[in-house]
Amino acid sequence: MEPLLTVIVILIGMYGIISSDTIIKSVFSGTIIESGVILLFLNLGALQGGMIPITDGVNIIIVDPIPQALMITTIVIGSTVTSLALILSIKVFHNNGSIAWKDITK
Amino acid sequence: MIDQLPVLWLFLPIFISLIMYLVKSSHIHWFIFPMQLVLIISFVVYVIAWKSDPSMGLIIFGGWEETIAITFYLDALNLTFVGLTLFFFTIIYYYSFKSNYHEKKFFFFLTFLESVFLGLLMTNDLFNLFVFLELTALLVTLLITYRKGENALKAGLQYLLLASMASIMYLIGLMLLYYVFGHLNIRLMAATMSSFIETSVVKLAYGFMITAFALKGAIFPLYAWLPKAHGVAPSSVSALLSGLIVKAALYLFMRIHTGMFGSPYDFGEVLFWLGMVSALAGVGFAMVQKDVKQILAYHTVSQVGLMLVGLSFDQGTSFIGGWMHIIHHAIFKGLLFLAVGVIIKTYKTKKVYEIHGVMKSLPWTGILLIVGMLSITGAPLFNGYVSKTMIKYAFANDDMKMFLFNLVNLGTIISFSKMAMMLFGKPIQMVKVKRASISQHIPMTILALSSLIIGLFYQPIVQFIYDFSAYGIHLDDVGIYLEYIFWVSLGFNLYYFVIKKDYRPLAKLRDLTMTFPTANFLLLCFLVSVFALVYIF
Repeated sequence: MEPLLTVIVILIGMYGIISSDTIIKSVFSGTIIESGVILLFLNLGALQGGMIPITDGVNIIIVDPIPQALMITTIVIGSTVTSLALILSIKVFHNNGSIAWKDITK
Repeated sequence: MIDQLPVLWLFLPIFISLIMYLVKSSHIHWFIFPMQLVLIISFVVYVIAWKSDPSMGLIIFGGWEETIAITFYLDALNLTFVGLTLFFFTIIYYYSFKSNYHEKKFFFFLTFLESVFLGLLMTNDLFNLFVFLELTALLVTLLITYRKGENALKAGLQYLLLASMASIMYLIGLMLLYYVFGHLNIRLMAATMSSFIETSVVKLAYGFMITAFALKGAIFPLYAWLPKAHGVAPSSVSALLSGLIVKAALYLFMRIHTGMFGSPYDFGEVLFWLGMVSALAGVGFAMVQKDVKQILAYHTVSQVGLMLVGLSFDQGTSFIGGWMHIIHHAIFKGLLFLAVGVIIKTYKTKKVYEIHGVMKSLPWTGILLIVGMLSITGAPLFNGYVSKTMIKYAFANDDMKMFLFNLVNLGTIISFSKMAMMLFGKPIQMVKVKRASISQHIPMTILALSSLIIGLFYQPIVQFIYDFSAYGIHLDDVGIYLEYIFWVSLGFNLYYFVIKKDYRPLAKLRDLTMTFPTANFLLLCFLVSVFALVYIF
């Protein structure tokens, strides 16, 4: 069930990027897609009843640590991209007085 | 010891860039030249050692098993790209050193970009590749928007958002592959790929990854960001983007599509037509532009299409031709952008019809520009001719494909006839012309000379780099020169009697731009059609 929900989150984001008319909406639609991907990946590595991946070698039922390690990196990179995009959109707004895409791409 | 040298290539530029950022002295970026010298010497040493023992290319960090460790893997493919990167960055540092002397941050970003790009080329781990892709996009955005011009900010923003969309597509593909294989090692995946290639999850992953590379490489419907970004950046950055950074997508295409997936699902024909349409669209838009840098930027779209045409054949002469064209394009497009940068700085305008008499006011720049133009239009004796001849080897008997290929070449000649008009006519007031510095002309001369040398002595060079003997090229045949002169005269006449008149449909074509949501819509359409092709056929 959860994987299906995350796919729906991704699709909502995809609808967002093709329908949004301002920069801010586009930036956040991208963030929504990325959140969906992160949730989906974490779901693949999750295990019902699994332990945290620090063991003494005896308790073997642990969750796969790699998706979590990868996704924490993805979150960091995603936040960097989002903040840079928002800074640029502020500058664009100061130059143009508008953040609508149709004013920006003449 | 020698087999660990690639680690140095990744960490030395990062280290130097941080020193440059932290130390307050304004002469600190002299450090770049010893750094570049160390990198190039170590590269030569490494390649000599690698030639005698290719198995030393695998570097495993931390002493773990190969499946879970972070690894580097170097073979002929990425060593050519690493060599190109080191060479090209040296040229760019040299060119921009004097004109950007007081801009420490500019060199900080450039050096950082160099190390990130080298990491992107050398890594053997799909997730590290994702990290390097995102970092490249971030640094390139910072370089595009460096001057904070109005258009540069818009172009940088669109580039950043589209590039992060490409990275997300790539991330989804990576995740699906991890789900199937349980590790992220490209080399090991390639070894076991053939038993998984027909499962639907791998097909899905393939579709996402190919879309990501098509967006990164500006293949036909997804090219909207490239002319904007490359046209407004500072000239040295434009040369870097068009010459090198766009090629990351083609490197990944060769690494992932041809190497890891093993060119599956009979996709070669589709990729051929994608490349061809991209080449035609690129020259079509380039012909009607009036901005010098926009012309060059649209030509990058078309030349990337030609490279894809070559690479779509998976092996043989055409494949090697596409691979060579990547490197040759870096040389002549870098030369063109740098020369145009000098001209724009002198004339203080980017409009092609307002620049006259470059040959009189800046003679040496004019000669270098001519070398670049001859090379991009495929004149014999220059490097463009060698790779273009090799690309068309596989379809030389197919009339339809040859016609389109010649049409692309004709379009290239037409739009460069327009640029050649800058060279003649009345020069601007000589009093006002400040001589361009010698430090900008030396790197351009090096590029022009390497273009000529590769064009003349291609045989041993091809043998050394690609381990392949080039044939089918006869420089002593008079026919090829006559053929080239025929195409040039035809192209020039078409320019003079059609393009120069600037008819209404041509002006319409020029004003055709794409908004960001439209570009994203095309991206999703592309994704869906790739899925349709993969699943149905």
